Amino acid sequence: MNSMDSTKGKIGLKELLALILLDVGTKVADDTPHTFYEDFGNAAWIGILLIGLITLIPILLLTKLIKLYKDKNLIDIILHLFGKYIGFVLLFILWIMQVFANISNSAIYTDIIGTMYFNRTPVVVIYVVLVAVAAYGAKKGVEYIGSSAWVILFWVILSLLIILVVTFVQGEFTYIFPILGTGGWEIVKGSYNHSSLLTDFLYFGFIASNVKNSTVFNKGIWIGFSIVILSFVLALIGYVMLFDYYGVRMFDYPYHETIRYIEIGFLTNVELLFFPFWLVSSFIRFSFYLYLSALLFGALFKIKHFEYVVPALAALTMLVGLMPESAVFSMNKLKIIFLNVIAPVFLLLPILLWITAKLKGDFKK
Amino acid sequence: MRKFQHLSPILFFIFIIPLLSGCWDQTSIEERAYVVAIGLDKSKSGNENQIQVTYLLGNPEFSKKEAMTNEPPMEMITFDTNDVTVGKNKANTVIAKEISFNLLSVILVSEEFAKDKNFIRWMYDTTKEREIKRKTPVIVTKEETTKFFKQNRPKLESRIHKYYDYILKYGSEAGMIPNSESNIGKYYRTTQADASLYLAIYGTSEKSDYSRSNEEDSFMAGEMKVGEETNKVQFMGSAVFKEGKMIGKLTGEETRATVLLNDTLEMGAILATYKDPFDERYRITAKLLKKEKTDVKMDLKNPLPKINVSIPIYLDILTQHSMVDYANDSQKRERLKQSIEEEISDTLDALIKKTQEEFKGEPFGWATLARKQFLTIKEFENYDWMKTYPEIDVNIEVKVNIGNFGNQSDVPNLEEMRD
Repeated sequence: MNSMDSTKGKIGLKELLALILLDVGTKVADDTPHTFYEDFGNAAWIGILLIGLITLIPILLLTKLIKLYKDKNLIDIILHLFGKYIGFVLLFILWIMQVFANISNSAIYTDIIGTMYFNRTPVVVIYVVLVAVAAYGAKKGVEYIGSSAWVILFWVILSLLIILVVTFVQGEFTYIFPILGTGGWEIVKGSYNHSSLLTDFLYFGFIASNVKNSTVFNKGIWIGFSIVILSFVLALIGYVMLFDYYGVRMFDYPYHETIRYIEIGFLTNVELLFFPFWLVSSFIRFSFYLYLSALLFGALFKIKHFEYVVPALAALTMLVGLMPESAVFSMNKLKIIFLNVIAPVFLLLPILLWITAKLKGDFKK
Repeated sequence: MRKFQHLSPILFFIFIIPLLSGCWDQTSIEERAYVVAIGLDKSKSGNENQIQVTYLLGNPEFSKKEAMTNEPPMEMITFDTNDVTVGKNKANTVIAKEISFNLLSVILVSEEFAKDKNFIRWMYDTTKEREIKRKTPVIVTKEETTKFFKQNRPKLESRIHKYYDYILKYGSEAGMIPNSESNIGKYYRTTQADASLYLAIYGTSEKSDYSRSNEEDSFMAGEMKVGEETNKVQFMGSAVFKEGKMIGKLTGEETRATVLLNDTLEMGAILATYKDPFDERYRITAKLLKKEKTDVKMDLKNPLPKINVSIPIYLDILTQHSMVDYANDSQKRERLKQSIEEEISDTLDALIKKTQEEFKGEPFGWATLARKQFLTIKEFENYDWMKTYPEIDVNIEVKVNIGNFGNQSDVPNLEEMRD
């Protein structure tokens, strides 16, 4: 308990950056690229650049708000600007979004582990282990998750870099042509639909008061944002270079097909070299997701020690996640609809908050 | 409460230990039977929905140098089944261990089965089977794969998985077989893209008669006469697949020419013979290298589409039986260059004619290069490369650079010597 008191529950730039990279960056290694290739074709890398452009404004406004209301997090800001009742409804929607994201992602990750690596282990067991470890982390709090994220960040980045280099060497560059993929207008439309990919950045606002100060927070957000976009661009090009658009759009999980396909020198079955890093970063990701759901739940129902909600939320996640019959299909479909629905929430909320703050005259103080 | 604080980590570790064993996926090496090669044939039962699967199981104990066993290096089983995956269980009626594809080196397909219109259905089964890697090479055999397996008894490399690794590696370095292109992953890609032809390795254990012509390598597997006591199996040439179905063959020479044209195929230093312009009776042996990429210029928007290909080739002359002194005579060298350029471009022209007229498609990787000319996938798909290719005017230009003339560049003057 002593160490917790000395840091006063705050995380620094390193931990925040590690959290951002492991939370958003690991999406290149799940089913997200699959949904990208469906809409953008081989121009998925242009799509992610456009998504970056679209989300630039909401993220910029978010950082402005965090800077303005020092020592407050997004929960306080929403309640302050929109009042008790609208604020409650908004936070409730955001909480539901977080819980659903958690359920669909954990179901999909369980499916990845089950179909690609542990064929004979029952899904329930994989799910229990995944959620139990994540719940353990979430219960410990954000500093704990942040520092474990920082500890493994180097190794995750190193493994990803090795994979990228090998992919670019073994791949065929001409596969990225025709350069515009499914066509100009399709890409623009798709980027709007997929912009919820970066919704996590909005949720980082909820831990703003856990970061040392608002300058550190904003710095972390921008550095994290740039690295995430860059790694997405490189990975999306890399998958196409290895399998061509025609092959890659058939894969559910391109990252895992990639690490099964590549060979490093005389080493042939290299996937088990990379799988542990992916697994650990997934644990961190779900710890953080569970932590966020608990945090929001606590804020909604005025629970001071919200950590104690974590086990209940974890159990809920697992029970709902185990319900659908074949997770990949039902969850993928649901997730795509869900992501399209939340896109406007993510894009508009910061703008609305900023306008309200402006109207209230908070910027002048 | 204090007491329990020390207890809880211990309890935690006790809980964690069972997880380390890999849960239900725990397997021990001794309990597995490793399939080194899978053979696919048409079923003889006449049932269209069944195939005949052959598993070639390698004996891992055989690789151990210190403790040689009396067990044979491999075991083979053949049976009719619905697909490769369900066969795993069926095989357990005779094999005492759990069947594993983790060390699978090759997939063999008989020519008859590859030409079947339903062949593609069984090929796609392998996408579902987690243990089969996309890097696994595909070999088409002239005869039934069971016969091929039986005849294949390599004399000096009895570890069968090593044998396949090595022969494919060195065969493709010689350019006789299209190895780097011919794995299952590339089969799927080419079939799905539906714009070019896929090449698989061609091999056989059957001898066939062949009237020897002047060229060194214009034969298929089985046609080369190899004397003395050796393995009956030969790998040479390639099987051509269009839309997932085998439609024809390329000889060793044509496969080499394809490798020369296609930059995506790995090419080592190829040894080949060319006719000597100063003495028709003799042929020159040369080491052929490609140091630069093939330059392909496309003009597709034209109503008469054109492709101009320029191939830079580096040649080292290794032997010349005519004993002409090329090393010191630049005019003679020029003549030799021209003659070789003509010979290579004649081969290439003939190959392109064959692909345009017989196959109506190309295995040269030009489809992906053509994609550069289009902005969107739709535009490219509307252009329908496979349909357009036979009408395209292809011009080949070969540029030969002669390097050195072997370790000793000078040759004695025969007439003076015999004088």
